[in-house]
Amino acid sequence: MRTYQQIVLRIILNNKYVFWALLAIPAVFMLLGYQSGETIAMDMLHPTGEWSARLMVFAMILSPLVAVFGPKPWLNWLVKRRRALGVAAFIYAVMHLIFYLIDMGNLDDILAEFWALGIWTGWAAMLLFVPLALTSNDASVRTLKAGWKSLQRLVYPAAVLVLIHWIFIHNNLGPALVHFIPLAALVAARFFLVPKLTPKGA
Amino acid sequence: MRVFSTLILGAAAAAALAPAPVSATGVITCKAGPQSGWKSQEKLTEKLTKEGWTVRKSKVDGGCYEVYGTTPEGDRVEAYFHPVTLEKLYVGRRGEVLFRKAGY
Repeated sequence: MRTYQQIVLRIILNNKYVFWALLAIPAVFMLLGYQSGETIAMDMLHPTGEWSARLMVFAMILSPLVAVFGPKPWLNWLVKRRRALGVAAFIYAVMHLIFYLIDMGNLDDILAEFWALGIWTGWAAMLLFVPLALTSNDASVRTLKAGWKSLQRLVYPAAVLVLIHWIFIHNNLGPALVHFIPLAALVAARFFLVPKLTPKGA
Repeated sequence: MRVFSTLILGAAAAAALAPAPVSATGVITCKAGPQSGWKSQEKLTEKLTKEGWTVRKSKVDGGCYEVYGTTPEGDRVEAYFHPVTLEKLYVGRRGEVLFRKAGY
């Protein structure tokens, strides 16, 4: 028997819009800071980029987690919301790009640094994100059939580009590795360990 | 399997929760003594502006003053200055070194 409060809590937690609102919270705080003049465009780059990468990693670790731990209700709950995580990662990346353009302010400066390793990797990752975001809807899943999954696998090269972008723009390994080591470990576990541990037909 | 899963989850959690180190990017380090002997960041901004720089932001990094801005030549850069002498030590563009004073 569930109490009334538990039922209400469950309804709120399972509401799609509540999850979207949750994903929007960091953006709201960042944009409020920018609007008040407290933060300049340059300082918007780090938080928008970090949240984009974080949400991308979050979306990416769900399948490996299921492979390693087996189907769990909490994982299933998150898997159902993976599209929201991916699309939110894209929206944060778009914000990241917009603030980059605002900060740079002119095409000459953007072109001057374009071929720096930390810069072109960011552009390339953004380019890969576009088709991923555009096909994050039921209609695309239906139309593309098996191709949809291959297309969405572009997230792996995109993630590598994001990692390089982050390391070289920041001159600092720590924060990037904090996000990417768990991802790499889980992806590796999924591909190298899980098949050996689950015999065929089990 | 369970032991392995727990290890993975534990490692992931530890990595995710580990505090990210505070940014000392380590590009340049200045051993400039106590801050009481330093010139102010305003003074540096004033000096640079006079020389034709546009300063967007400045802060302390690795015991130096780190400035984000545009050089008199029009390059968008990140530059380091000695906090006592205000001497230019390093100029870089997204990690690409444009200038580095010998010895730094």
